[in-house]
Amino acid sequence: MRQPPGPFREQFWRSPLRGPWLASILGSALLPLIVICALTGFLSQAAYNPSLGDNSPLPGGGIGINLYFFSWPTSPSWIYALTQGLHVISGVMAIPLLLVKLWAAMPKLFEWPPFRSLARSLERASLVLLVGGSIFVFFTGLGNIQIWYPWSFSFVPAHYYAAFIFLGALALHVTLKLPVVRRAFREEGVVRPLRDDRAHTRAEPAEHGTTAPVEPAPPTMSRRTLLATVAAGSAGLGVMAAAPVIGGPIRELALLAPRGQSLGDGPNDFQVNQTAKAAAIRPAQTGPDWRLVLEGAQRVELSREELISMPHCTHDLTIGCVEGWSTTQSWTGVRLRELASLAGAPKGSDVEVVSLQRGDGFNHAVLSSGQIADDRSLLAFKVNGADLSLDHGYPARVIVPGAPGVHCTKWVKSMTFSQA
Amino acid sequence: MTRMRELYGSSQLHLLAVIVTMSFALYGTIRIAQGSDALNTFIWFGGAIVAHDLISFPLYSGLNLIAHRSLVGPLGGPTAERAVPLINYVRVPTILSGFALITWFPLILGLTEHNYRMKSGLNPDIFLGRWLLLTGALFLGSALIYAVRLRRATRSAASRESA
Repeated sequence: MRQPPGPFREQFWRSPLRGPWLASILGSALLPLIVICALTGFLSQAAYNPSLGDNSPLPGGGIGINLYFFSWPTSPSWIYALTQGLHVISGVMAIPLLLVKLWAAMPKLFEWPPFRSLARSLERASLVLLVGGSIFVFFTGLGNIQIWYPWSFSFVPAHYYAAFIFLGALALHVTLKLPVVRRAFREEGVVRPLRDDRAHTRAEPAEHGTTAPVEPAPPTMSRRTLLATVAAGSAGLGVMAAAPVIGGPIRELALLAPRGQSLGDGPNDFQVNQTAKAAAIRPAQTGPDWRLVLEGAQRVELSREELISMPHCTHDLTIGCVEGWSTTQSWTGVRLRELASLAGAPKGSDVEVVSLQRGDGFNHAVLSSGQIADDRSLLAFKVNGADLSLDHGYPARVIVPGAPGVHCTKWVKSMTFSQA
Repeated sequence: MTRMRELYGSSQLHLLAVIVTMSFALYGTIRIAQGSDALNTFIWFGGAIVAHDLISFPLYSGLNLIAHRSLVGPLGGPTAERAVPLINYVRVPTILSGFALITWFPLILGLTEHNYRMKSGLNPDIFLGRWLLLTGALFLGSALIYAVRLRRATRSAASRESA
């Protein structure tokens, strides 16, 4: 087959910075971020207690076997804020590294001839999955945290199963490239090329089958300037992504990340996942006719006044959102345990909490017996000493330490206790 | 072993690694295929490759080449050695601003305006302005560093001449 012109010829690629060492250092920086992102991503699925009811955001319960041999813990109360915060922060920080890694590897995608051996062809096919998978997973994740859905598929299964494609291809890539990384670090040193300024920057030795250029152009940038730029980008984006997780005065540093703005100083002026307007909650539903329906061995209906007259307590608890922001407030409410015993729920019951909200996948959630048993799990009616605002779930909402935000159901209508 | 190499092109370990890792990738592919809107998912998956490799990469490489031609000279040709080459003082803030844009473009470009306002109750109109300010600050910082370094280089050149 005749070699086509342009990028399919080795001479096309002129940058003196490309080569095994640059790819190795970028890969070594990228891999830990992707590992953190992947682990916390799979943990997020566990946090939904996917084996209970239809909690699993994946159709058919996901993988089909329960990979998570544990019930999601309630302590520390900020555990989901932490794991999901890490998921979003590590993912966002990986973006500059990923883009420059793709730039560094670009000649590989145009390697000619396309078919040399079965092994090489399989490797190249896996690179297609690696490039497509990485961009797809990062792009959909970024869309979700910014509430932007230009596609028609549903986010969670696509993001989750594409991660299998991406991580499978990545595992192969890392396995096959490990000797290349070792060799590059042995020959060039792990950090030695960072000492060279622009004038001393030399192309890595051109060798067939590597990305080092055969006809390098004179350097206009040193490797350390390139890597410092990537590091600065990664750190800057990391600060922006971390600010809405840490909250407090730090939140303002979010700058371009979602959920960086303060809503004010009032007791209810903290981040709202979904406003009452967006959830189509009508005022009539939350008026004096509102009743909380508890179902267990018996059915109990409580007005808001009756709920408030029950023994209650106050706890500082964190709501962590899957979108990677969180907020810690002081919640006052009745223990879920008390409500369970009021309804005569059998010991070890789970509870399905249903919202007044209609038609959203998260208008209901099943909480585990472990979550009900925690002293700090509340059906809250007050926050920071004031009545809940409509946006925060008035007349009453669930708050469970460590649970994903969407499991802290707002505008609660009914709670049905049953033994699993 | 040699026959394996001839037929396959690498060792058995290579093949084993391919089988193990690609079975995970295949699993993900099959689950997507079984889901609703599988076609749309695969279109976006393929689109991701096209958008990066055939659109975004040629685009930014082209921009870089234009910057190179106008600030340094033709690629590979003789370069006018300057005391402090200007190009990286343009490139670095452009790259950093680009990282921010590519990460937060749905908010910056207002693509998510309705959703963001409805769901969070927050004002989505601040992001474009903030990104422009950030970009301006990056270029300003870069220009200041350039000015300081240029002055220093001119001075030391002048002192060498007078010495």
